[in-house]
Amino acid sequence: MATTDLLQGTLDLLILRTLALEPMHGWGIAQRIQQVSKDALQIGQGSLYPALHRLEYKGWIRAEWGASENNRKAKFYSLTKTGQKQLQAELEDWGRISTAIALVLK
Amino acid sequence: MLREGLTRLRFFMSPKPNREIDDELRFHIERQAQEYIAAGMTPQEARRKAVVAFGGVESVRAQSHEQRPSFFLGTLLQDVRYAIRQLRKTRGFTVTAVLTLALGIGANAAIFTLVNAVLLKNLPVVDPSSLVRIGNNNECCVNWGTENSGGADDGSYALFATDTWHQLQKNAPEFEELAAMQAGIGQIIARRDKTQESARSVSGEFVSGNYFRTFGLQPQIGRLFTDADNVEGAPFVAIMSYDMWQNNYAGDPSVVGSTFWINTKAVTITGIAPKGYYGDRLSSTPPDFYLPIESMPVLANATHVHVPEDRWLYIIGRVKPGVATAPLQAKIIELVRQSFAATKTFSDAEGKRALAKARVVLSPGGAGIQSMQDDYASKLKLLMWISGLVLLIACANIANLLLVRGMNRRAEMSIRTALGAMRTRIVRQLITESLVLSIISGMAGLVVAYAGTRMLLAMAFPGAQNLPIDASPSGVVLAFAFGISLLTGILFGVAPAWITSNANPADALRSGTRATTSGASLLQRSLIVLQSALALVLLVGAGMFIQSLNKLRNIDLKLNPTNRYIVHFNPQAAGYSPAQVEALYRTIEERFHTIPGVQKVGISTYTPMEANNWGEGVQIQGQPDTKEGASWLRGNAEYFDSVGTHILMGRGFTTQDTSTSPAVAVVNQSFVKKFLKPGENPIGRRFGSPGPVSSGDFEIVGVVEDTAYTSVTWKNHAMYFIPMTRRIPGSILQRPIDQDTGLYAGAVVIQTDRPMDNMQSLARQTLTAINPNLTVVKFQTFGEQIADRFTEDRMITRLMTLFSILALLLATLGLYGVNAYTVARRTSEIGIRMALGANRSSVVGMIMRGAMLQTVIGLAAIGIPVAWFCVRYIESQLYESKGMSLAVLTIATLTLIAAAAAAGLIPAQRAASTNPSQALRTE
Repeated sequence: MATTDLLQGTLDLLILRTLALEPMHGWGIAQRIQQVSKDALQIGQGSLYPALHRLEYKGWIRAEWGASENNRKAKFYSLTKTGQKQLQAELEDWGRISTAIALVLK
Repeated sequence: MLREGLTRLRFFMSPKPNREIDDELRFHIERQAQEYIAAGMTPQEARRKAVVAFGGVESVRAQSHEQRPSFFLGTLLQDVRYAIRQLRKTRGFTVTAVLTLALGIGANAAIFTLVNAVLLKNLPVVDPSSLVRIGNNNECCVNWGTENSGGADDGSYALFATDTWHQLQKNAPEFEELAAMQAGIGQIIARRDKTQESARSVSGEFVSGNYFRTFGLQPQIGRLFTDADNVEGAPFVAIMSYDMWQNNYAGDPSVVGSTFWINTKAVTITGIAPKGYYGDRLSSTPPDFYLPIESMPVLANATHVHVPEDRWLYIIGRVKPGVATAPLQAKIIELVRQSFAATKTFSDAEGKRALAKARVVLSPGGAGIQSMQDDYASKLKLLMWISGLVLLIACANIANLLLVRGMNRRAEMSIRTALGAMRTRIVRQLITESLVLSIISGMAGLVVAYAGTRMLLAMAFPGAQNLPIDASPSGVVLAFAFGISLLTGILFGVAPAWITSNANPADALRSGTRATTSGASLLQRSLIVLQSALALVLLVGAGMFIQSLNKLRNIDLKLNPTNRYIVHFNPQAAGYSPAQVEALYRTIEERFHTIPGVQKVGISTYTPMEANNWGEGVQIQGQPDTKEGASWLRGNAEYFDSVGTHILMGRGFTTQDTSTSPAVAVVNQSFVKKFLKPGENPIGRRFGSPGPVSSGDFEIVGVVEDTAYTSVTWKNHAMYFIPMTRRIPGSILQRPIDQDTGLYAGAVVIQTDRPMDNMQSLARQTLTAINPNLTVVKFQTFGEQIADRFTEDRMITRLMTLFSILALLLATLGLYGVNAYTVARRTSEIGIRMALGANRSSVVGMIMRGAMLQTVIGLAAIGIPVAWFCVRYIESQLYESKGMSLAVLTIATLTLIAAAAAAGLIPAQRAASTNPSQALRTE
């Protein structure tokens, strides 16, 4: 699924939610989202990396270079305090909107 | 928030953002490849698949990069660096473009700065918008008839008697203040008391007591005038200008309160006018001293101050808030008429007719007396048009150069697109290039503007160091010209890139350089056509002005300037009374004759070809009054010889023509033609100012050749000359000799037998030896004085020529650029043609035909008709010129065609020396 089909801001939410579990590198984030969604959501690299850099620039996530699971140098992203607050806020928003949409679709 | 700020800062300073992104993306691909290997693929296969799965690395990198705040700055710096590299690589293009734009911007900024300074600037006074001038023309300097000399023969007056000013002040409460100032600012002689300094001739203006208050001015130091200073019998006081104070007294505060000898009378300086105040009008000789009107009768021996018939003041007032102009004007007209009605001038039948027509026009007074503005307005406006045309040509040139360049870089752009560069990125980079080019040109333009304004000022107002015009270019103007060039640069720099980047890169790459059609686009050709046309218009304009100036200069002035020097002096200001001048003139003649080499010493009220003219009505005795007048002048025995005027009939003046000898006159040919019947012998006839008695005042004893006075274009200028010290019989009855200011000479004309470089110091020494107060007001050779009368014409002609050469140069450059580009594009085609047997001359011919075609179209279709049409707008500025001069048009056309041929010939030669085998290999 391409990001254009995702709701505006949804990709940010997915990334933040994924990073809430543990720090992860870009590939890992994409894999995780794919697995968890049972292959329904495939994040294209063309949107993933710009999004990561955007979030980092906003200060919601921070990046650190570290060793990957196969001992390669990789860039790990983790949630900042602001990011956690942002995640809470976005989750609430999402809950409200999805409930609302569900009501309409019923 | 803080964290965000910090990350931003970190990103901003981060030295290697690109490498980080690359590392990150590389890791992603490797990690994906590992997954594939784990799934059983070979390492190569896995890697290939990972790369394919990832998609365009370049665009991900670019997009990720864009998320960073330092991205914009980074790419900008990168683009700027790249642009500068590009510009340095194509040096010819860069120099051409920068020069073109710099000249275009600079010329415009210079002209507009001048226009802004001369035409649009207000006086440096408080709230200039509430100042109103009573009158709107440049009538000058002391008038007493019913006519006004302001050029507007519509009964509109601008010059008023002291009485009229008083009456207006009393009866027009709509004005908060109503100030009066002398119309004809003159020279005074000033020397500081108790110092060694010698007397110097400076400019002094007589003004009313409320003059400075009206303008809302504060003194630099000391105090300015009050109404009490402008009372008959009050102690003599003066205000010194700031510039005079700084330049001659180094800002010495003790100047205030000190005594100066002004025209030999003791005057106390009460204050210094504020810095930057240059008087109530733009002038090359701004007042050095301001003096109260009521001190004028004594200080300047002026008789007109209290004569109700003598009009000599300009009036500027500050209106109270909320006063409407139209009713105020009606009221002022009524008041002025009442004041006029009480005078003798407007009391007889003719005066009453004039009174019924008399009116004044209220005009904005914020810019002061606009005599200089009125003089220069039409010429400056013309220059504005011309410089606008040059800017247009410059922009067309830039457009063309950029188009050529853009098209040449098609292949480069295609390759970059093929390698994955984003279109916006390419366009952004091209915009940066255009911006860099425009900024460099803009800076060069600033230099041109600075130098240009100085040059223009020097050309427009030669010898006027004191002119209160600032030569620094106006910011608004620079910004405007700069903006135009920027726009041109961006528009025509980006257009080709946009077109190219829309094309399929593969197609663009394939078509390469193999083109058969001439390659230049319709747009380029149109630009060339336009440029040629505009250049022709300017060339024709310049040609017309050159022709006019030549005509002016070739007029025989009937004067001889060789080895002749004109020394202006002022015996009145030096303290001589009219009764004493005869002895003074004798002394001057004797003393100058003792200088070795001096042959003739003329003394006169004014001299040929200077800005002075005295007019008077003339009636021949025994004939009716024709209401015609003539100019007149007083001269001594050697005057005619000293200026080179030939006596045709009878005699000139001799030393026997003195104050007590019979009243005789010499007249010129035009006088004879104008006032006497053909064939009548003028010798022995009597004439004078109209009136039964006065018409017999003078007996004609000689006739001289017509010579040019005041202006070369004054045709059939009737003049009469009377002996330097002989009083007019009519005036003897009217007033005592001490009021006869007409006896004051204005100049000594010296003729020597050889050029004498030290004449100026000799003249100064000779005069000072007679009386330390006799200073040289102005010294020029006769030749310089004559040349000064052509200054304006010369300036406009030079500027027109300068601009048209510029236009020609730019148009030629533009044409050359397009031709060179065309040849480069067609290299392989030309190679094929030559391989197939075409010879050099046919190749040259082919290129030349293409090159000349646009120029000829430009000339025939646009240039010549437009030039023809535009000539009528400059006709009024030309001397004896009606419509288009065929000679000028032909020369201009031929010049342009020659320039076009030159611009075509070089590329054509290059084309002809193409080596076929090499050309075919070029790709």
